[in-house]
Amino acid sequence: MEFRSVAHVTEALSAARYIPSTEIATVVFLAAATRKPILVEGPAGVGKTELAKSISLCMDRPLIRMQCYEGLDEAKALYEWEYAKQLLYTQMVRDKIHSVVEEADTLAEAVEKISEQEDAFFSERFLQPRPLLKAIQSEKPVVLLIDEVDKSDPEFEAFLLELLSDFQVSIPEIGTIRAKTIPFVILTSNNYRDMSDALKRRCIHLFIDYPAIETEKEIVRMKISGIEEILLDKLVRTVANLRGLDLKKRPCISETLDWARSLMVLQADTITPEVLASTLNMLVKFKSDAELVKERLQTVIA
Amino acid sequence: MLDMITKFSACCRAAGLKVSPLEVIDCMSQLRFIDATDEEAFRSLLMANFVKSRRDQPRFLEIYHLFFHELRTSFHDVQEEDSENPETPKQKRVKEILEKIREDLGDEAEALQNLLDYLGGDPEAFLNEVQEIHNLVEQRSLAIKVKSNMGQLSNRLSVMLKINQIRQKALQLAGELDAPGDPFTKREIDAYFSKMLDRSFDLLTRDKRPDNVALRQVNRTDPRFEEIGERPFATLTPTEMERTKEVTDRLVRKLKDMATRRYASRNKGMLDVRKTLRRAGRFQGVPLELHFRDKPLRKGKIVALCDVSGSVWSAARFMLAILYSLQECFNGVKSFAFVSDVADITPLFKANPVNEAIEKVFSESGIDTRMLTDYGASFVRFRERHMHELSTKTTLLIIGDARSNYQNPHQEILEEMRDRCRRIIWLNPEPLTTWSTGDSEMFTYKAHCHEVRPCRNLNQLVTFIEELVL
Repeated sequence: MEFRSVAHVTEALSAARYIPSTEIATVVFLAAATRKPILVEGPAGVGKTELAKSISLCMDRPLIRMQCYEGLDEAKALYEWEYAKQLLYTQMVRDKIHSVVEEADTLAEAVEKISEQEDAFFSERFLQPRPLLKAIQSEKPVVLLIDEVDKSDPEFEAFLLELLSDFQVSIPEIGTIRAKTIPFVILTSNNYRDMSDALKRRCIHLFIDYPAIETEKEIVRMKISGIEEILLDKLVRTVANLRGLDLKKRPCISETLDWARSLMVLQADTITPEVLASTLNMLVKFKSDAELVKERLQTVIA
Repeated sequence: MLDMITKFSACCRAAGLKVSPLEVIDCMSQLRFIDATDEEAFRSLLMANFVKSRRDQPRFLEIYHLFFHELRTSFHDVQEEDSENPETPKQKRVKEILEKIREDLGDEAEALQNLLDYLGGDPEAFLNEVQEIHNLVEQRSLAIKVKSNMGQLSNRLSVMLKINQIRQKALQLAGELDAPGDPFTKREIDAYFSKMLDRSFDLLTRDKRPDNVALRQVNRTDPRFEEIGERPFATLTPTEMERTKEVTDRLVRKLKDMATRRYASRNKGMLDVRKTLRRAGRFQGVPLELHFRDKPLRKGKIVALCDVSGSVWSAARFMLAILYSLQECFNGVKSFAFVSDVADITPLFKANPVNEAIEKVFSESGIDTRMLTDYGASFVRFRERHMHELSTKTTLLIIGDARSNYQNPHQEILEEMRDRCRRIIWLNPEPLTTWSTGDSEMFTYKAHCHEVRPCRNLNQLVTFIEELVL
């Protein structure tokens, strides 16, 4: 499915249960229209990965996800030669090789004959595509999510460049593989380190912050039906206050949802310091954070 | 539209944003797809293309506002529609006055050119001038021994004088040219000039600080050690000092163990065909033993800058001891000490045992610890002589209280360093509450760091070392 306008993106994403701001919708629309990758920045848990999933859902394209980490190399991201298979095949077709070189009179001629067959061993048959190659080889256009690209090494960025600007991959033994279909590429970053200018230049940039109170309410309302408006208001404001504290890990949207669910289960109709204290481990994930919040129970509650 | 976008991109560049031609082209091609009269969409589009990092967003928004709101609505909008609409009396009057100022001031007008352009709705040259003043690097003249850090200030002052000169002239001319029976125009023109000149004043005096959202500011610690852990380094007795040193030494060794474990458990790489086949020769060509290509692990490098001036006296010795043990354990550690000049103390640390080495930092490194601390000057010197030490694999560790005696802080050099290295971590031996007081430039520098934390007692130090990822 193609997007027709910014409003259409908003509509489609909302239908896929993702509530975008105008900025998000505009950037997604432009990226789809100009086939440029999006680089999404923002704190952990604001729905960067979720955005990619929702886009794949509403564009009706399969999602190929690649999680980046330190030490990720092209063998795991792009392609790998299946050496074991190659070796196995050499063993199996030994007789055939023998027959090829049989008629050769000299050693040089034999080598010549074998080298004619070289292509058989460095063909796509022995190439194992990894996520990036898979994404551009797919017959049906896909959504490619390159998650936490800031965790990867600077070297990895270098071979992303060719892929992102020209949608092609150069393999020395075979040549250049061009994209059959252009994927919709989304890169996410937690700002662990700054990305190189060359990579940034190839992408459209989008920053997603923690949602505004109204937006967050809407999200909770959508995911958890039947939550009471008064409780919801108090809940979202309390979480917003918690985010203002000096915590090791600030509660993100999914934690708001978890907390809301657990409050529903406990049938709490309002938030008191006691309720917060007893359900605190849904929101904060460090012991020291929990202690910090416990000292300020009264002020945190909106 | 194209004119406007290129003009705007030139302004962005003048304000220090990196906007490449490619991005302008992208922007133009994308404008076809959206309704440019929808401001939010228009702004999102420009922002998505021109700003590639959250840090630059505030700067962009400021320029955007200046360009599309303050200047456009007050002048350009009407001017662009010249062909159809005659100019409003106000626009005409402003133009007349600007012309008149140009004539009246004659020779001097050259110097005022940028400002006059700015008033006429073209801020690029003026922004450039402001940017240059902000980034001015002190030229140390050899003839005058006294070091001056006032260049930036005096340049700013001369622009301020120009602004005032124009303000007077404009008000005077507006009065002279006043057409009878048209009182609103005069008031409007007066208001226009005051507003625009006030704005230019703001642009000039306010330092732009990027919004550093990714900054990690750590202030809490796990209370690991009772009593001794909470005492500031400055108040430790010699015996306590020894104990503290033991603890930190142990920690640094632990850090090293962690690093070695990473080596031991590193992943095996791809199959090394050449070696495998060579070995297969022993088994009649059957590749029984597979050989893999090992990947060398990324080696972290540390460059440490340690303030050794009087104000951080007690903490400095302590930090030097930590640096010493770090350097003992890891290969890629470079240590520098500074007060108002920078010295490489790595060789001193290599050649001497710990206590002697620290003494020698104060006596032999060539740093005069009695000088006033000057972070700006130290950064300038570092850039001159040691910038090549920073690479994308370097963690830059800065230890100091950021009290720079009201000298020019040169934060743009720190920004440049950030672009060149992997992470900048700032350890401040003062408690968080005093950071913004007096001559502390911590809040200026904070904008460019990846992580800042107070580090004044053992518990804080222990937490830091344990969380240090190289």
